[in-house]
Amino acid sequence: MTTAVRIRRQWFFWLITVGVYLFLLGPIVAVGLASLEGKQTYHFQFPPETFSLAWYLKIPHKYFQALGVSIVVATLTAILSVVIGGAAAIGIVRGGLRIAEPLKAFFSLPLQVPLVVTGVVFLQFYNQLAIASGIDLLGSLPGLVIAHVFVTVPYSVSTVSSVLARANPRLEEAARTLGASELSIFWRVLLPTLRPALFAGCFYGFIVSFGDVPVAVFLSSGGFVTLPVEIFQTLQFDFDPAVLALSTLVVVASAILIVLVQKLVGFDLVLAYAKR
Amino acid sequence: MTERDATAALSEEKRWRLFLWPPLIVSATLLVIPQASFVWMSLHKNLGMGLLGSTLTLENYARALGDAFYLDCLWLTFWLSLVATAITLFLAFPAAYLLARSRSAWISFLIVLLLISSFVTIVIKVLGLSLVLGQEGVVNQFLQWIGVISVPLRMLNNQSGVIIGLIQYTLPFLVMLLFSVIQTIPVSLEEAAELHGAGRISTFREVLLPLALPGLIAGGLVTFNLNMGAFTSAVLLGGGKVLTLPVVIQRKILLDVDYPFAACLATELVVLVFLFNVASTFFIRWKTRGASQVR
Repeated sequence: MTTAVRIRRQWFFWLITVGVYLFLLGPIVAVGLASLEGKQTYHFQFPPETFSLAWYLKIPHKYFQALGVSIVVATLTAILSVVIGGAAAIGIVRGGLRIAEPLKAFFSLPLQVPLVVTGVVFLQFYNQLAIASGIDLLGSLPGLVIAHVFVTVPYSVSTVSSVLARANPRLEEAARTLGASELSIFWRVLLPTLRPALFAGCFYGFIVSFGDVPVAVFLSSGGFVTLPVEIFQTLQFDFDPAVLALSTLVVVASAILIVLVQKLVGFDLVLAYAKR
Repeated sequence: MTERDATAALSEEKRWRLFLWPPLIVSATLLVIPQASFVWMSLHKNLGMGLLGSTLTLENYARALGDAFYLDCLWLTFWLSLVATAITLFLAFPAAYLLARSRSAWISFLIVLLLISSFVTIVIKVLGLSLVLGQEGVVNQFLQWIGVISVPLRMLNNQSGVIIGLIQYTLPFLVMLLFSVIQTIPVSLEEAAELHGAGRISTFREVLLPLALPGLIAGGLVTFNLNMGAFTSAVLLGGGKVLTLPVVIQRKILLDVDYPFAACLATELVVLVFLFNVASTFFIRWKTRGASQVR
């Protein structure tokens, strides 16, 4: 039996998959449709009765500011975590150390710290640091980026080390035999091999940082708030329908970004990483 | 390999090891120092106004473990995370399987949709869930229309709302993770089983499931850990009534400003999650050793 036939026969799997997609995309689509409702003031209704773009014009400035903060934090987090995690993976896989496995386990420890705990731990740490040294990282860009890097380094370590473990070291040997310098072997042989893994690590780092609430909620301050935290506060305390419009804009922009990346780089790369 | 080659390889390995030091120092600093000072703080009495007692005490732990309220919170967190993880695994596996195995032209489109879903912050998804899951939301309207239910289901402001929110949070990540797991299992193994007369269900149970088990457990653990530390859905979809430990910790910090007690509860949460992970890892080792013996 061919694969295609077998897949068609697995109607139960297909049923669940359709359910998964409805479940994942339904709420997002609902937000988009509800944002077009023009009639109400401070409550939402779905489906909309009157179509209007009114709420799009009433998005408070603080949300755009928060969006800016989120983009900067997520970008820095993605880059730093892939540099740190990538270097760790190279050392672990190529270092020929006997403690390679324990080292890998050590680098994945942050995945076992619940996010809310990471949030309060860094909150408390920054408080004490401020008392001890006068450096106040609380509610600052470096403070939040450090905490997010802590959370996301394990993703890069696992993506890079799994690709590196499968990569062929003979390519590097060949380059060395042909007289390439160590530096150019690193830039021109090793890094291109690792590119998909580095890209995947970046991508996961960005996603985790860009969507995070449990860590950022403790490390934000009045003037420094990420977008998810700003929306979270709005939903928790005083609902503003402009949030629907803003969320829709963010979703549409994310979708465009992902389609562009798919066209330019391809996501086989992102998904090709193996776990652990 | 000649002796000279071996020496060259060794010096090369030493060079690669240099890459390890900066990340190791950064990670160890970020892991050990904040956590240690945090646990240290949980061993002090809170005097209010950010002041701590000067002597070490286990009073916070006695309070956390002796009070039925906090034990209930801990149990509730564990239970909701476990239920949400089980449902997420059940939903993610078939979707990941089809995405990994199907040759259809639609697959790359479906993967893009999955990535978009994982890119959107859980807060926006929770907002969407609260739009569709209400008493008069589209889901209840639809279910009543097709006649499955006569009275609208209550899916918000209770535990089922929180579980739905947790699933929404972790499902896209788990599908991606299991996708990569299933890709590493050769399709020829399933074909061989079927050629030898195994039915679909027994192929699934005897071939696919054992091979995917380490990946399923690893993915399940990632999901479980995320659930144990999440509070967005508990706060927004639990209607303030579902008090999981993350919610209680947040309230202790932001409302009561009782840092030592929050630190104690957080330590409790970390220890529970860690023990659960270690136990499951041993379970994988034990299981996979059995499998390799059979092979």
